Amino acid sequence: MSASTAAATRRPPPWRDVRVLRVALQALFLLAVVSLVLFLLDNLVFNLRRLGIETGFGFLDQPAGFAIPDSDFRSSQSVRAAIFQGARTTLVVALAGIALATVLGIVVGVARLSPNWLVRRTAALYVESFRNVPVLLIIIFLYLAVFLRLPPIGRAVEWVDVFVLSNRGLVVPSLAGTGSTGPFLAVVVVGLAAAVATWIWRTRRFDATGQPHHRVLWALGVVVAIVAVGFLATGRPYGLSLPERGDLGVAHGFRLGPEYAALLFGLVLYTASHIAEIVRGSILAVSRGQGEAADALGLSPFQRLRLVVLPQAFRIMIPPLANQYLNLTKNSSLGIAISVYEVTKVTRVSIAQGSPAPQAIAILMLVYLVISLSIAFVTNLVNRRLALP
Amino acid sequence: MRVWRTIGLATLATAALLLASGCSLGGDDDDDNGGEAVATTDTTATTGGDTGGDGNLLSTVQSRGTLNCGVNEAVPGFGFVSQGGEFEGFDIDYCKVVAAAVLGDADAVEYMPLTAEQRFTALQSGEIDVLIRNTTYTASRDGSEGATFLTTTFYDGQGMMVRADSDYQELEDMAGATICVLSGTTTELNLESQFNARGVDYTPLAFEDNDPLQQAFTAERCDGWTSDKSQLAGIRSNWPDGQGGPDALRILDVTMSKEPLGPVVRDGDTTWASAVNWAIIATLQAEEFDISSENIDEALGSDDPEVQRFLGQPVEGEAFDPGLGLAPDFAVEVIRSVGNYAEIYDRNVGPDSALGLERNLNALWTDGGLHYPPPYR
Amino acid sequence: MSVLEPTAQEPMPVPEPPRRTVGPRAWARENLFSGPANTAVSIVFGLLLAWVAYRVGRFVLVDARWEIIERNLENLLVFRYPRDELWRLWGALFVLAAGFGLAAGIGSRGAAHATALTALRRAAPMLVLVGVLLAFAGSLQATLLVAGVTATAVLARLAGTRLALRGRIAPVIGLASLLAAYLLVAHFGGVGWRDWGGFHLTIFLAVGGIVLSFPLGVLLALGRRSRLPAVRWVCIAYIELIRGVPLITILFMGAFMLGFFLPEGVDTPSAVTRALVAITIFTSAYVAEIVRGGLQSVPRGQVEAAQALGLSTLKTTRLIVLPQALRAVIPATVGQFISLFKDTSLVFIVGLTELLGVAEAITKQPDFLAQGLLVETLLFAAFVYWAGSYWMSRESQRLEQRLGVGER
Repeated sequence: MSASTAAATRRPPPWRDVRVLRVALQALFLLAVVSLVLFLLDNLVFNLRRLGIETGFGFLDQPAGFAIPDSDFRSSQSVRAAIFQGARTTLVVALAGIALATVLGIVVGVARLSPNWLVRRTAALYVESFRNVPVLLIIIFLYLAVFLRLPPIGRAVEWVDVFVLSNRGLVVPSLAGTGSTGPFLAVVVVGLAAAVATWIWRTRRFDATGQPHHRVLWALGVVVAIVAVGFLATGRPYGLSLPERGDLGVAHGFRLGPEYAALLFGLVLYTASHIAEIVRGSILAVSRGQGEAADALGLSPFQRLRLVVLPQAFRIMIPPLANQYLNLTKNSSLGIAISVYEVTKVTRVSIAQGSPAPQAIAILMLVYLVISLSIAFVTNLVNRRLALP
Repeated sequence: MRVWRTIGLATLATAALLLASGCSLGGDDDDDNGGEAVATTDTTATTGGDTGGDGNLLSTVQSRGTLNCGVNEAVPGFGFVSQGGEFEGFDIDYCKVVAAAVLGDADAVEYMPLTAEQRFTALQSGEIDVLIRNTTYTASRDGSEGATFLTTTFYDGQGMMVRADSDYQELEDMAGATICVLSGTTTELNLESQFNARGVDYTPLAFEDNDPLQQAFTAERCDGWTSDKSQLAGIRSNWPDGQGGPDALRILDVTMSKEPLGPVVRDGDTTWASAVNWAIIATLQAEEFDISSENIDEALGSDDPEVQRFLGQPVEGEAFDPGLGLAPDFAVEVIRSVGNYAEIYDRNVGPDSALGLERNLNALWTDGGLHYPPPYR
Repeated sequence: MSVLEPTAQEPMPVPEPPRRTVGPRAWARENLFSGPANTAVSIVFGLLLAWVAYRVGRFVLVDARWEIIERNLENLLVFRYPRDELWRLWGALFVLAAGFGLAAGIGSRGAAHATALTALRRAAPMLVLVGVLLAFAGSLQATLLVAGVTATAVLARLAGTRLALRGRIAPVIGLASLLAAYLLVAHFGGVGWRDWGGFHLTIFLAVGGIVLSFPLGVLLALGRRSRLPAVRWVCIAYIELIRGVPLITILFMGAFMLGFFLPEGVDTPSAVTRALVAITIFTSAYVAEIVRGGLQSVPRGQVEAAQALGLSTLKTTRLIVLPQALRAVIPATVGQFISLFKDTSLVFIVGLTELLGVAEAITKQPDFLAQGLLVETLLFAAFVYWAGSYWMSRESQRLEQRLGVGER
């Protein structure tokens, strides 16, 4: 008795003990990884010193020495401010691109399944053309062959005070803040809060009594009413900044530059072709029985799509869609090729003006990581909410 | 299952072979592999000690048998790739000059195209022996890039090109204009500082590459194009007739900066620097003596002792050897295989070439220009 | 009256014959003009398509000046490769045609026999590409050589279906022919990869990238599923870091900084090597995610059965899990390869002249300077990329169907 229990509790020698081996292997692995990283960093610092390039992050406070067009950035501001400005541009391009590409992708994806042969074929033509060409080529081509070929500023297409179209951009009237903009915005915020409250109230009433809630109409009505009252009460909260054409450009107004447009539309066209394929695959993956049941219930084809098929397809398409969103965000770095001052271009210019390359590129990668992880986080949230329990 | 192991081994073997050839610098002629690896290790060791200067590079290049020349591959007239896949241009010819002087063979050159950002790193690390890539001689480059600048081969300046029908005469007239510029060069810096100094507002459009830039300028997206005047002149003289021909463009009479272009070598190797320098000076001296690739053979029989000395011919029994480490008659090979400065200039950037540039500042001092070769004695 | 009694009524009217449901008019009626909305849409789209076709056709056939492509075809394909060594590239093409044809033949044994028509349809994009290239080349020698290569491929495929070789040897033959082709082009007097350019460089970066990143990706995927937290977290960190940044930043890192990470005494690698390293690092993270999906798709029962048989972890992974996982991810890997093929165009931004770079560089030659020929060259480059991608994606779909991926 005592001999067997003694045998059972005696531990195997260390070189056969799984627990010891696990810890030892991990320690060895970590040691190898850490020493490799230290070795590389050591070489890096040594070589930087040898060439007289600074090894710290002090360059961030230096004046940038270059201007960023279409912004308030001046060359005397710091490199850090330049990177922020670039990151802002990247974010705007990414978010606008994601929104537009999703809309276009869904439209084309549904069109691929249209009963009309011409529509099907056109959609297929679009998808197969844009999916198989590198996005850089699409962007450069759009810029050179489409946007630059708009009329030059001297022969711009104008519609008095409404817009000016030339190869320097499309300028439309913009809203200019006045003294009473602040209070008006406060009213808008109040209106939105009231709308949310109304939404919740109507939903609760529906849950309690079963009467139709019409919550969208109610919420919209509340917002519109409150904003209208605020608009009248605060006088003129916004003025219109109307475009004025000069010889060299258009003053005032809101300008969409050709480089920016080429980048945005190139990204949208490319990503939408991928999204269309994903949408098509997801719709086809929804079981046929669902569609047939919808038909049996007498729903029109559009209702069938909107109420039965698409919601289920949505669940399937979120992960690959998230992937495409990330790709679009990363592809925005291609603005560097046509002089769009997003964060990659800004980093590249600052390196050329003397910032140390390793640190600048590390910061650049950090910026993209933050943006990517945020987008991944949001889409993960949506995915989890939509997932089947 | 065994086949997976075979596949794995085959993949590893492929990978190992690819990496091995990569490590031996891209797998050139097998003969060169060993020599090259050894040679470049030597020069990198020299770089490790900043104040070295043990003059290794000349002997290294001579034993290696090829010259690694850092060049440009997309600059008209100075460094570009012809339809036959060959490198041609003003800077390319000077690579050949150095090779002819150091190795006796103008074709023993390994051309390495570099971007503006990579050029000094490549020079420092020993990847290239000499950088001939329309690089401007500036104080900061001399001081902190660890580079030594040699005789200027081309005196250039930054200029501004506008459409002929616009009213600009001075930079001050261009307030609010959009200016196209190539990114990552001193051109961008100069543009900013020149306009800032004048207090004039402008919008820069900075492209990575000249092609979209040119299209933007053609489409009147920008009002001005700033670059080195030699580049602007070349572009102007080739402006297609469909766009109005050269007369549709005008280069302002403003010089925004001095741009002396010349070959660059690494700091710390004075023997190499002197050797390369005198190879370049030889082309200027040859023009001064009126010796070209066409009359070199007659010049060899000349009575003039200066010419004799220059060409390394025995004067009273002995050929003159200034102690540069080159063959006494290196100038002969240079002139014979590449030509003198006038021939190099005319062939690549002269009035009859695509760039159509007059000599102006680049003429010899005897013709009112800036080239003044030091005496060879 | 009784149902069975005959009634003296007038005979039933003969119904009209049903509308035809076959034939072009019926098809058009059903697909294009089935209702007022549909008809309107058809007309609008029809006009739109016709206009686009007209503009594109007019540009390509009439307005465009293709001379720059004709004169620079060799530059576009191989850039600075010495013209008197081009026989090596042709030789490599023959070797690859033989090797891949053989491998394809072996791999397709047992598949339904293809008629000549289906074979042509499969190869259509490549045939169009080759046809366009030959049209630009305009040389009899090139046409004969291309015909020779095609004949070699077809014969090799026929031989593969007939020879009595084990099916699993096909990938080995493919890899071996890749190796042989590389050696022919780069060694024994050939030119090393640092001087390659044009479309040649594009293919090299894409193939090299995927081949080199695959082992690394498999290791990362296995590491990510490891039970050792240190290994797992390091692998996760690497994968998420690399996947979160654009390829261009990794290319910048390679171009500007790789030399700095190397110790003294080691020469800076060439520009092509640096790009290849960056591409490998980038692709390995994506391959790792793909392989991870494959590993997850192997049922746990397989692992448990292997354990019941007494196989060690290493043997289980090597003999049971990996083969099934890798087989499941072949289509996704091909998709990644297609992505990589298109992404090689980015190395243009770090100064390498692959196809896109050459397309821009040739517009600077003295004969073509400042004439706005960038549109023609970019269109040509886009067409080459498109043909390659389109063909590969169609082959990948066929492969997916054949392998029955997703079916139990």
